[in-house]
Amino acid sequence: MIELTGLSKIFRTELVETHALRDISIRVNEGEFVALTGPSGSGKSTLLNVLGTLENFDQGDYLLDGKSVKGLSDRELSTLRNEKIGFIFQGFNLIKDYSLFDNIELPLRYRGFKPAERKRRVEHALETVGLAARRNYHPSQLSGGQQQRVAIARAIAGSPRVLLADEPTGNLDSLMARQVMELLDQINRDGCTILMVTHDPDQARRASRQIQIIDGQLSDAVLYDPLAVA
Amino acid sequence: MSVRLMIKTMLRRKVVTALLLVQLALTLALILNSMVLAKQTHERLQEPTGLDLANTLLVQIKPTTPTLRLYPALGELLERQLGAIRQLPGVVAAAYTNQSPLLQGGNNGSLYKVGNEERNNLSTVPQYYASADIFQVLGLELKSGQLPQIPQSFDSDSSTPLVLTESVAQKIFGSDNPIGQATNQGNVAAVVSDFYGQRSADMVMYNTIRIAPLYGVDWGYSLLLRVEPQQVVSVRSQLDNLLRQVDSNIEIFHIRTLQEQHQRLYNTEYGLSVLLALLSALMLLVTMISGYSNAHFHVLKSQKEIGIKRALGANKVTILLELLAEGWLCTLLGGLLGVVAAVLLNQALALVISIPVLSGWLVVFTLLLLLLCVTLATWYPARIATRISPATATKTL
Amino acid sequence: MEQLQYYFKISLISIKRAPLPYLLTVLILSLGLGMFFANATFYYRLNSDPLPQKSDKLFFPMMLLVPGDCDSGCEPPPVLSYSNVQKLGSSGIPTAQAAMYSSDSYVRLDSKQQPLPVRLRLTQRDFFQLFDVPVLAGSIWPDNSARYEVVIGKQLAEKLYGTADVVGKSLLVDDRHFTISAVINPWQMLPRLYDANNGSHISETEQLFMPLETAYDLNYMSATMSRTMDDTDYRQLATQGRTGALHQLQFWVQLDTPAQQKAYKDFMLQLAQSEQAAGRHPVHINNQLPALRDIVRYFGRESGDVKAYALVTLLFLVVCIFNASHLSLNRYISNQYEFSLRRALGASRWQLQQQLLVDVVVLTCVTLVFALLIGAASIQLMNYLWPFNRLFASWDLSLLSALLLLSLFCSYLVTLYPSLRASFGALNQQLKE
Repeated sequence: MIELTGLSKIFRTELVETHALRDISIRVNEGEFVALTGPSGSGKSTLLNVLGTLENFDQGDYLLDGKSVKGLSDRELSTLRNEKIGFIFQGFNLIKDYSLFDNIELPLRYRGFKPAERKRRVEHALETVGLAARRNYHPSQLSGGQQQRVAIARAIAGSPRVLLADEPTGNLDSLMARQVMELLDQINRDGCTILMVTHDPDQARRASRQIQIIDGQLSDAVLYDPLAVA
Repeated sequence: MSVRLMIKTMLRRKVVTALLLVQLALTLALILNSMVLAKQTHERLQEPTGLDLANTLLVQIKPTTPTLRLYPALGELLERQLGAIRQLPGVVAAAYTNQSPLLQGGNNGSLYKVGNEERNNLSTVPQYYASADIFQVLGLELKSGQLPQIPQSFDSDSSTPLVLTESVAQKIFGSDNPIGQATNQGNVAAVVSDFYGQRSADMVMYNTIRIAPLYGVDWGYSLLLRVEPQQVVSVRSQLDNLLRQVDSNIEIFHIRTLQEQHQRLYNTEYGLSVLLALLSALMLLVTMISGYSNAHFHVLKSQKEIGIKRALGANKVTILLELLAEGWLCTLLGGLLGVVAAVLLNQALALVISIPVLSGWLVVFTLLLLLLCVTLATWYPARIATRISPATATKTL
Repeated sequence: MEQLQYYFKISLISIKRAPLPYLLTVLILSLGLGMFFANATFYYRLNSDPLPQKSDKLFFPMMLLVPGDCDSGCEPPPVLSYSNVQKLGSSGIPTAQAAMYSSDSYVRLDSKQQPLPVRLRLTQRDFFQLFDVPVLAGSIWPDNSARYEVVIGKQLAEKLYGTADVVGKSLLVDDRHFTISAVINPWQMLPRLYDANNGSHISETEQLFMPLETAYDLNYMSATMSRTMDDTDYRQLATQGRTGALHQLQFWVQLDTPAQQKAYKDFMLQLAQSEQAAGRHPVHINNQLPALRDIVRYFGRESGDVKAYALVTLLFLVVCIFNASHLSLNRYISNQYEFSLRRALGASRWQLQQQLLVDVVVLTCVTLVFALLIGAASIQLMNYLWPFNRLFASWDLSLLSALLLLSLFCSYLVTLYPSLRASFGALNQQLKE
């Protein structure tokens, strides 16, 4: 599903070069639930951004669903993000004056679905996260956990192949965090590949595999050996 | 793109949007009315005058001594002046007249068919006393009758033959043959083609001409010259000197082409048109600045939101179009208000000046112009917005 | 004082932080004010009252005393014949009264000099009293009879003689000898309301005055409006002008009290009735007595273009104020964080408002300068396009202070809402952002 080979990313300023990611090779198979762990500033969020094509990289290659994302135009990248990837952010990132329905519908609009199809998908997604009754609410009327569930609904409404979650429970208390994690488990069981950045070891253990990043490098050879898991 | 969501975005910025809408509306109202006024002025200046404006020169002049203002000295002065002018290369014909055509008002009187005073009395018809060449100078065509050749004093007992322009002859005599008919001003000798006399007369094309000595020159008199097209500038430059050489006891008020005289007639309207056009342009500029700053600020404030949208799969063109569409929607809403404002302004202006009512296609044109300007103003901030990285979504701002 | 300096410093710093938005705000506000002010100048001057102390006491009587049927609308003609003036002048009711018209002449000191074109006012003794004309030297004619004596303006005297001390000196008016009986001080009645009936009130006051009787004797034709209602030859004033229906005279009377005004109206009515009874003027009675202050409106001589443009510039000003507040709102919201910080550090709302007031003062000053420049340029343009209004282009203290107040008001308006939003916003939320 996801194949990184020798991927590096360097942040340059006039004076210094920082290797944000250094020679990373990872392979994630379809249906896996992978946790990316590591201390803050280790580069795990950058890796997630690269995986989500939100940021580009300098060296190496990245195959998503068997196709290289290298050299794709902005339009192609946007389509790729829209169709294959779902995002869940730590800060939920809902648009605050759109209703739940409008928020979830947004990526479907970019995809060009007809209104009836959009409605069907939004309603299905809302049901999945258990918020069908609140479709006309605004994000500010919801608790943090509920907001994150809306974000998850938005992420899965387009039936993505991969779900990228950046500390999805980072802003939530433990009860809500558990609900969110259960939801992610369920989505994973339904066949969606999930990559999740987290620094919570408990959550990392729920994943089928853990990848640890320290200083922009994979820390443990065993964990990143694709053959070991395959 | 959903209009509903765009309206939501606009509602979130109620005050700013309201400010922008009011501006757009007033701008549209002003541009629309200036265009209507400019169009009217332009049309008035394009109306036929029956005259060869560019190739006819007008000298307005007055003798400065009392003796020169009375016959026979005046008659002799006119002869000398016209004689000298005719010698100038390029002068086709020259004539004196008590007043020039293309005036606001001037010497005029009432005109009616004798015996028909009650029903067909025109109160303000310009009266020209001129030398015989006046027809050639003004390029007037003889429509019927015979042009008088010899100046005949208006003061003498016998009636001076009267020449009418076509439209006034038509008005007074209808389909009858006017030649030989008696009016309160004398018998009609000829009918000539129409020309623009005085703006404040009953009709601008109504004129009467007599071939006669000047009735009095206390208000000065005019010398009119028909000049070869290539020679207008050179003849014009020599006139002042030439006339002063002929007799220095004169005051020359002005030397103009009839084109300039015509232009002056609409000075007020022209001035107002220019001022309104200037103000419209400024207003458009101000609105563009407003549109620009609005979009710029909006983009700055919604970087995060744009980043989220990019992460969710909106490409650069979508973002650009979304922002432009917001501008267009705003312009259209402002335009609707603007049409109402334009009608109100039009009515208010009609109380103090003459202004035609607004026409539909002008509204469309103005709206398109406004759309273009708003697009231009929004373009740069919208372009900046497309550069916002989708990674912005993952950062905590 | 030190605090004030501090506020000014902060104000300048925040301008420097974002100079372009500030400049645009100033530009837009001063464009609106400048354009508005330029036209307001003309509007104010054209509509000003040159004789506020007696503009409601001077009247312009008109009567429908004309031969034959009335032709259009049966309005009394705006100019009177000599004989009508004689009849109206015999009432003995007004405090002062004078008939008048204007003509053109050439003057010189001797026949060798180049003649100078001069606009003449041909009038009677009371003219100078009616319109408060300041006499510098000499004396005005003792009565209305014909005499070869002229009253001359100081500027014309200086132009001709090089001095204003010219009483008793001789002058050639159209090559006829006249003696100067009085010199008047520079005197500009703007607008020159006594000439409003023919729309000449926007031109300059005359510099040469000749007795009306002498002018009729010398056949001075009216340069503005003359109407012949019968066979009278309008060139033959001396022989036919006093008796025929040659209408060219303006007539002004001063009626100080309501009683006088009432008596004069009654007198006009009686006169019209007796003329009717005598069979001289068989048309119906229509007497009019508009006052000086209403005269421009009465004759429909108001400048429609200036009015129209006034309306439009006012709209423009409104748009500019909207726009400038829009810009400054953006500016203040950008500074919102700083406001919140100041409040968090203990500044009271009042202290923040003081800061804003200083901002307003700074904005007013800068805007005023630009507005004056734009206004002056705009007036130049208007003078070029509408040269006939040129005399009404000058600024005086009251106009300038009005502009100052207007700028202050607009600056305050432009600053008020944005500042309220910036300084009264929820504190913690902004700091968190």
